Amino acid sequence: MTPGFAAPSAVPPIGYTLCPVERALFLSGNEAIAQGAARAGTGFACGYPGTPSTEIVEAIAGLDGVRAEWCVNEKVALETAVGASLAGVRTLVTMKHVGLNVAADPFMTLSLTGINAGLVLVSADDPGMHSSQNEQDNRNYARFAKVPMLEPADSQEAYDFLAEAFALSEEFDTPVLLRTTTRLSHGRGRVLPRVPVPLEARAYERDMAKYVMVPQNARRRNRLVLERLEKLRRRAEGSSLNVLEAGTVDFGIIASGVAYQYAREAFPKAWFLKLGMSHPLPHEKVARLYQSVSRVAVVEELDPFIEEQVRALGLPVVGKEAIPADGELDPETVFRALEAFVMRRPPRRRRPVMPPALRLSTPPTPAPGLPVRPPVLCPGCSHRSVYAALRRRDLAPLGDIGCYTLGALPPLLALDSCLCMGASVGMMSGFNKAMGRKAAAAVIGDSTFFHSGVTPLIDAHYNESEGLVLVLDNRTTAMTGHQGHPGTGLRPDRSQGPVVDVQRLCEGIGVRCTTVDANDHKALDAAIKAELETPGLGVLVALAPCVLMTRERAGTVTVDDERCNLCGLCLDIGCPALAPGEVAMTLTEACTGCALCVEVCRRGALVHEAADKGRET
Amino acid sequence: MNGTTTVSLVGVGGQGILLGAAVLAETAMAEGLDVKASEVKGMAQRGGSVLSTVRFGRHVYSPVAPHADLVFATEMLEGLRGLDLLAARGTLVCATTRILPGSVLRGEEAYPEELVGAAADRGVRLMLLDADELAREAGDLRAVNVVLLGAASPVLPFSQDAWDRGLAAAVPAKILDVNRRAFALGREAGARQEVPR
Repeated sequence: MTPGFAAPSAVPPIGYTLCPVERALFLSGNEAIAQGAARAGTGFACGYPGTPSTEIVEAIAGLDGVRAEWCVNEKVALETAVGASLAGVRTLVTMKHVGLNVAADPFMTLSLTGINAGLVLVSADDPGMHSSQNEQDNRNYARFAKVPMLEPADSQEAYDFLAEAFALSEEFDTPVLLRTTTRLSHGRGRVLPRVPVPLEARAYERDMAKYVMVPQNARRRNRLVLERLEKLRRRAEGSSLNVLEAGTVDFGIIASGVAYQYAREAFPKAWFLKLGMSHPLPHEKVARLYQSVSRVAVVEELDPFIEEQVRALGLPVVGKEAIPADGELDPETVFRALEAFVMRRPPRRRRPVMPPALRLSTPPTPAPGLPVRPPVLCPGCSHRSVYAALRRRDLAPLGDIGCYTLGALPPLLALDSCLCMGASVGMMSGFNKAMGRKAAAAVIGDSTFFHSGVTPLIDAHYNESEGLVLVLDNRTTAMTGHQGHPGTGLRPDRSQGPVVDVQRLCEGIGVRCTTVDANDHKALDAAIKAELETPGLGVLVALAPCVLMTRERAGTVTVDDERCNLCGLCLDIGCPALAPGEVAMTLTEACTGCALCVEVCRRGALVHEAADKGRET
Repeated sequence: MNGTTTVSLVGVGGQGILLGAAVLAETAMAEGLDVKASEVKGMAQRGGSVLSTVRFGRHVYSPVAPHADLVFATEMLEGLRGLDLLAARGTLVCATTRILPGSVLRGEEAYPEELVGAAADRGVRLMLLDADELAREAGDLRAVNVVLLGAASPVLPFSQDAWDRGLAAAVPAKILDVNRRAFALGREAGARQEVPR
């Protein structure tokens, strides 16, 4: 029997919607994803082109109510998408399988922060490597990041699953991975359009514990992710996307995506567990298949992703010893691979051994009653003046990774987000676009800017994003212990290499850029004000070498005991050199004389005396 | 456990905890012992709590241990916090230095004063000394870490020769003399200490 020509099953495969032919569209998987996303209320879509994912953004670009963008790479695309999601807009981001490697940095931590409005990431895999440099199986990313994954098997499902994906994303506060492959993305099928999904408003709410992934917050979020995974597994057990289809022979197949179609055509009489939501794996549903049949095979392209999880349940299964572990499948390959197995004597029945609930570590309990001592910005740190200026404005400062992340801690509390290296600029771009105004600013250090802040700046310029990017240039990679970077030209052996100038780099891109002395608090404040009042995109380089490197004193600050009424306003800037005394504020010897406290004091109680040739305030 | 001694050094970022740990580790190696050390840095210079652990013995397996036999604290609040690290009948060598954390500076919390009582409650042997003063006397306030090592040296199974070699190996040459003096002053002060039980 040639499998491809087996008599069609009398029962139409579940998942198909039989529809009046005159209303049906004939869409590629990618077009179906685009239309399904638009139907589900996607307001922003972006990605980087890569076969076989490219047509999704192209197709959604023409649809009502969706703004579509090509981004400079997949990492920037995901970060821009995160910004739009935070601002309350359902967002779709697309890439090919290897593109997710580029976006893996934000992706892995986005699992911890979760989202605001739904965020769906489409990964288009390419079994057989029709036009790719490798054949990686991105289902592994779902497990790696502990996020749910949907795998549509045809164009109708691709269309329908988008609504499900966005709903899951919002219900479980997680990005959702939607995995397609070449044969789905570039195949065509009937699609019956459906009515648009009603949306609820999801206004942005500042939530530092959720969006600022400094260690103490990330530890808490990580536990929530592990709990979320078990809740998602329960959802997968009950989900209508995971269907047990009755057959007439003692043989069952577990499959997802287009591999399901191959297997269904090859073995029309078999039982099927068709997984539309293939991660986390619904163990009970797998067990139920084993109650109905004694022989079970997993039909999947590439890695034994489902197979290994079934084996871990202690259940006998045929998988990659028969089904090729590389390249694409097709009905005939599947049939030939499993033909003999169907005839073989069934293995001894075994009961599944369900994995025990995960145990979580006991978080260290801080000694009760003892004040904690979080790291702080150093006395005289120039970052402090930037935060003092930003705090005065109705603005969401989106942060990045470096010493300046400490601005998120009390009492400054001056950052709304910290996702991964270089994320601030792309997130600002997406956030402001979704808000339709300069609602956010990006705060990024000089070393981080070179690490991965330049590409999103190019992107923001190309996509005409609005916003202010503050490059906190302290002339070093401070947090890790003062390493060199292209902006300083310093190498590990302390030799001097060529230097890249941030301002000229920005101007070369075509972005307006101003450099201001970060220790000149008034000038900095004025520059931020001016930039925020100017439409478009601008960069402000707040320049001042790290105070730990210069160890320079900018003068001395003294307290006028008569004028000081201990109001505590100066304590809001979080300088460890300031402490309330009995009658007035006191300054410890850690004071560098930066005089930021002098700026914020409204009673003139703090007096700055410049060093010999220092600045006058 | 298994003949392995665990020493933890706690303090505030910038107080030289990591250097103190390096001196201790080098000294143990000079005695011919196996040593493992573990430190959490990254934010160490930014005024946060810092913890470094040194373990030595005939053969050391794990770089960390749940409890220490001896804790050095370069600051009193960190010393109080460090009581939780101590094994039963352990020793805490603590400087009387106070560095107020942000919440205390802002008046949201009080600086805790119960170190002596808490140590007594737990049966911890406490050596309190004005390490700031001794470090200043040695010539550099930053030598507080080495003053404490000197003070605890009678408790530790190392010869003076091993300490000398440990100091020379870990401390940069230009501040070695200051640190030698700091160690000697600490050792004298430690020997004078009446140890409350």
